[in-house]
Amino acid sequence: MKDPTGEYASGHRGQGRIGSTLSKLRSWAAPVTILLGIVVLWELGVQVWDIPKWQLPSPSEIGQELASSRSLLLEHMLVTLEEIVLGFIAALASGLVLATAIAYSRILERSVYPIVIASQTVPIIAIAPLLLIWVGYGIAPKVIVVALICFYPIAVNTVDGLKAVDPDMVNMMKTLGASRWQVFTKLQMPTAMPYMFSGIKVGISVSVIAAVIGEWVGASAGLGYLITYSQPLFLTARVFAAIVVLSAMGISLFVLASVVERMMLPWYYTEKRANSIERM
Amino acid sequence: MASDAGITSKIRVESLNKSFNVDGRRELVLDDIQLTVGEGEFVSIIGPSGCGKSTLLNIVAGLDSPDSGTVTFEGSPGVSALGRVGYMQQKDLLLPWRTVLDNAILGLELHGMPRRQARTRALELTEFFGLKGYESQYPYALSGGMKQRAAFLRTMLMDQEIVLLDEPFGALDALTRVQMQEWLLQLWDSLRKTIVLITHDMDEAILLSDRVYVLTHRPGRVTMVLDVDLPRPRSYEQVTEPSFARLKSRLLEPLREQKPKEAQGLAGKEGL
Ligand SMILES: Nc1ncnc2c1ncn2[C@@H]1O[C@H](COP(=O)(O)OP(=O)(O)O)[C@@H](O)[C@H]1O
Ligand SMILES: [Mg+2]
Repeated sequence: MKDPTGEYASGHRGQGRIGSTLSKLRSWAAPVTILLGIVVLWELGVQVWDIPKWQLPSPSEIGQELASSRSLLLEHMLVTLEEIVLGFIAALASGLVLATAIAYSRILERSVYPIVIASQTVPIIAIAPLLLIWVGYGIAPKVIVVALICFYPIAVNTVDGLKAVDPDMVNMMKTLGASRWQVFTKLQMPTAMPYMFSGIKVGISVSVIAAVIGEWVGASAGLGYLITYSQPLFLTARVFAAIVVLSAMGISLFVLASVVERMMLPWYYTEKRANSIERM
Repeated sequence: MASDAGITSKIRVESLNKSFNVDGRRELVLDDIQLTVGEGEFVSIIGPSGCGKSTLLNIVAGLDSPDSGTVTFEGSPGVSALGRVGYMQQKDLLLPWRTVLDNAILGLELHGMPRRQARTRALELTEFFGLKGYESQYPYALSGGMKQRAAFLRTMLMDQEIVLLDEPFGALDALTRVQMQEWLLQLWDSLRKTIVLITHDMDEAILLSDRVYVLTHRPGRVTMVLDVDLPRPRSYEQVTEPSFARLKSRLLEPLREQKPKEAQGLAGKEGL
């Protein structure tokens, strides 16, 4: 067994930085190329077959629409964003509290956890109209739909993470005199962090769809509302423009969650990178 | 063994048996273990891989319980040693989200010492433990030997009277290992802690210990208790002395009696 006191450790990381920059470039190149290809084919197809704008607008027409109705789109985007943010915060808070309770108490794990899992089979789309009856037309039903949909991946992943502790690590903490609460805060919680972020990323990706569903059922603002309103008027380019904004929102929220994750778990990403280089 | 009498015993293991379920069968791992460690004594346990050394230490540390037999800890049976002995396990068990320094202070932190104060205390020792310059690294960036030293530092910072060490120098290169052994000798000479050390290395066992317990392979049974009467303070030079060689050849006797394959498990590691 060699015991290098420098070269090994630092050389390792140097390689990691270059390697990851290259592989990052490579990982972006393929999807971007495919997307560009689709856009070009779409543009050509619309022009060659002379498809009318109300049936299928070309990417350039959608681009024009994005530019000309930007203030309208922005206005509705802010409404949808508010629904997403509030719903997501509600889901995060309740998801973490419930996951903690389930991981801490065997009784809750046996009684409540199966119900949480079963609840996922209830179609939220079917519940959304009922929410209108129960809480009215305001922002509340949309926030609730977003919260209901985001809650599940956050709660389930966090429960998994809290239970994923290495029993040897628990023993190590005990020999150092740790209380059960200390084992929870200093071992289980950090162990669960990467799992929780997986849940958050899944949740935030579907939160956009959730908000649109909430708005479809009944709303007077928001991008989902704009789509349902524009479609019967054959403002197809505007429908597509709203879809583009929704996608951009979803991607941005996902990237934001990833950035926060990297900032909060610096050890996790560098460790993963180091391991993947070892495997190469 | 003369050592049982006289001194107050810190740890006393009597008629201890332990078996595990392996593939549905119950397999005896520790068979009728008797072991006494007096206050301020340095005791080593040596034996081939898989003979139950770590299991024995886990039981002494209070992490596991025996099937039968007793572990008496500081004179009172049934008292758990958890949180009251320093235990360095065979695996380094460093928390991946903590830097080397913050891993080292974990025990102090759990006992309520403010982080800043704990860090200052740990920083005084990082140089000696060969961790200087690596305080803010995460464990993934360290070599096996450095991880082991970080875990060792975490254990020693607790400053417990009784310290259990499970192959603490296993992943170190020969030179660093000798340094650490000499340091442990010094530490023991000045602080007179009660130490139980598990090792594969016969030189290490003889050099450091007052007494060496030799365990057999499967099930682990004490075949020999060797009193090491070399004068103290000791230093690494003694390894080449005739009295040292005599002790070593006595230590080899029980191992020769075992089946060759089993003895190899030990002899093979010796020259690491
Ligand atoms: N928790 C466990 N469950 C089942 N078998 C175990 C367990 N812990 C240890 N063993 C078995 O007990 C034997 C002794 O293990 P161990 O005490 O780690 O040996 P050593 O430290 O001497 O190498 C091994 O055969 C191992 O497979
Ligand atoms: Mg072992």
